[in-house]
Amino acid sequence: MQNNVTVEKILVSYDPEVQNLLPVLKKISAVFGFIGSKDAEIVAEYFGLSLAKICEVASFYDLIKTRKPANLEIKVCSSGDCALGSSAEIIQEIENYFRIKAGDEFNPKVRLEKNSCLGRCAEGPIMIVNGKVFEKVTVSSVHRILGEYV
Amino acid sequence: MNNIKIITEHWGKINPLKIEDYVSVGGYEALKEFIEKSDSEGALKEVKLSRLSGRGGAGFLTGVKWEMVSAQKGEKYFVCNLDESEPGTYKDRLIAENNPHLLLEGLVLSALTIGAKKSYIYLNGNYEKAKEVLARAILQAQERKFLGTKILSSKYSLEIEIFSGAGAYICGEETALLSSIEGNRGEPKMRPPYPTECGLFGKPTVVNNAETIASIPWIIQNGGKKYLKCATKLFVLGGSVKNMGVFEAPIATTIDEAITKLGGGMQDGKEFWFAQVGGASGGIYLEKELGGPILGSGAILVVDRTADIYDLLLSWTGFFRRESCGKCVPCREGTFRLHEIAERLVDGEIADRDKEALNDILWTLENTTFCPLGKFAATAVRNAIDKLGILK
Ligand SMILES: Cc1cc2nc3c(=O)[nH]c(=O)nc-3n(C[C@H](O)[C@H](O)[C@H](O)COP(=O)(O)O)c2cc1C
Ligand code: SF4
Repeated sequence: MQNNVTVEKILVSYDPEVQNLLPVLKKISAVFGFIGSKDAEIVAEYFGLSLAKICEVASFYDLIKTRKPANLEIKVCSSGDCALGSSAEIIQEIENYFRIKAGDEFNPKVRLEKNSCLGRCAEGPIMIVNGKVFEKVTVSSVHRILGEYV
Repeated sequence: MNNIKIITEHWGKINPLKIEDYVSVGGYEALKEFIEKSDSEGALKEVKLSRLSGRGGAGFLTGVKWEMVSAQKGEKYFVCNLDESEPGTYKDRLIAENNPHLLLEGLVLSALTIGAKKSYIYLNGNYEKAKEVLARAILQAQERKFLGTKILSSKYSLEIEIFSGAGAYICGEETALLSSIEGNRGEPKMRPPYPTECGLFGKPTVVNNAETIASIPWIIQNGGKKYLKCATKLFVLGGSVKNMGVFEAPIATTIDEAITKLGGGMQDGKEFWFAQVGGASGGIYLEKELGGPILGSGAILVVDRTADIYDLLLSWTGFFRRESCGKCVPCREGTFRLHEIAERLVDGEIADRDKEALNDILWTLENTTFCPLGKFAATAVRNAIDKLGILK
């Protein structure tokens, strides 16, 4: 997290116009990891919109988080090329390793999700760990990559 | 195959970060010509003559769409659709990353032709490199007066803004895209009214795919008649072909030609099973069905006999379950149940009851959803049942 950045400071760099709502929400989520309910209230007031409206928009998009992320957020692409290129086995490997299931939210430390295509198919299978993208991942390289995080 | 390259001509040869590189190969000449003639009607005529059709999937005639908006007075918008979230498709990203000024020149020409003074590029939220490249290109174009107020000291002005998406496949659908810019959930809107009448902020709006727009400078320079004879399209090859990647080829290229000539044929030792054409929302084509044109986004996923069809099945159903926007019940529930049944099928637990339900769900998706995403969700699964016999 950057020092001294507050939601208010982010807001003043945008005019309170509707087309700035998505950019603002994205920015807050990127800086703080997610948008908490207090932050959402501040945004609602700044834009003169209802809190429901802010939550409705924020919860729609994948790149805006409305909950505190886990310490370790893993995503594995499961589209087309990656699916043909063994992403299912990679997911299974991670599931066994952490004793979690993709999509479950029981473990507050690690979360695994299947991801839609990032348009890097020629470099797949693709895995994203805490926002960092790894290419040409294999069942064996997955351990080396995740080893750096645990 | 003729080898004319309209979009990829300078890829890898010029530095995308330098406007002077683009200018040195004849870049922005079409814009200069347009400004000198100051004839937007003439430009519209050429685009109509070219019969350029939309490259975003639906294939609507670009000239016809433009005419509807250019005929109207007052404030208008031109939006470049670079959301590109169809699995297996990344041609628009490469356009932006390899030759951003071609896209910008096309965008300026397009917007001025329909009489818009403001244009948005709706960019896939994951395309960070493309965003940097485009942002830089916009600044350079402004410095050289190809963009901004009084373009090349003429009466024309245009402002271009990059609007980054936030990860939602449905935002590629044009009305959902506009909702998203307007600060709403990216859900499709009822049509009519079409965006051409009531689009962004209620104003007439043209939405075009990035590849469509990148074809415009060539059309303005060489004329619509000539384009009609040598129109090209970008194809994205993936799966078990020798060469993966994006290729430019004549628009009439067949699936078979794309696989053998562009993709270099099958990888050694792999036997062709089927091709999925048009990304996750595209249909399945068996060996005997490869003589037709390449529909949809231009993506071709070549699948060989060693592939696990269940991996793909879960990939499709999982994708649409995640990406259904939730606005209408048939799609929200249908994609969810479809994925559940697919999981049971993969686990070998499918019951006769599931098979019947599957038919009902597919029918509902095909016939009753609010926007085409529902239909997309059913396409590959239906084909896999009919052509690959996955239920047997
Ligand atoms: C679910 C869905 C997703 C779409 N995704 C895209 C996309 O990512 N990029 C795109 O250009 N068009 C996409 N389209 C098509 C657009 O709605 C629209 O037809 C297109 O942008 C018009 O531009 P064109 O005429 O130049 O093709 C999508 C349509 C649907 C129904
Ligand atoms: S068909 Fe699916 S994506 Fe389209 S409006 Fe209905 S729920 Fe949303």
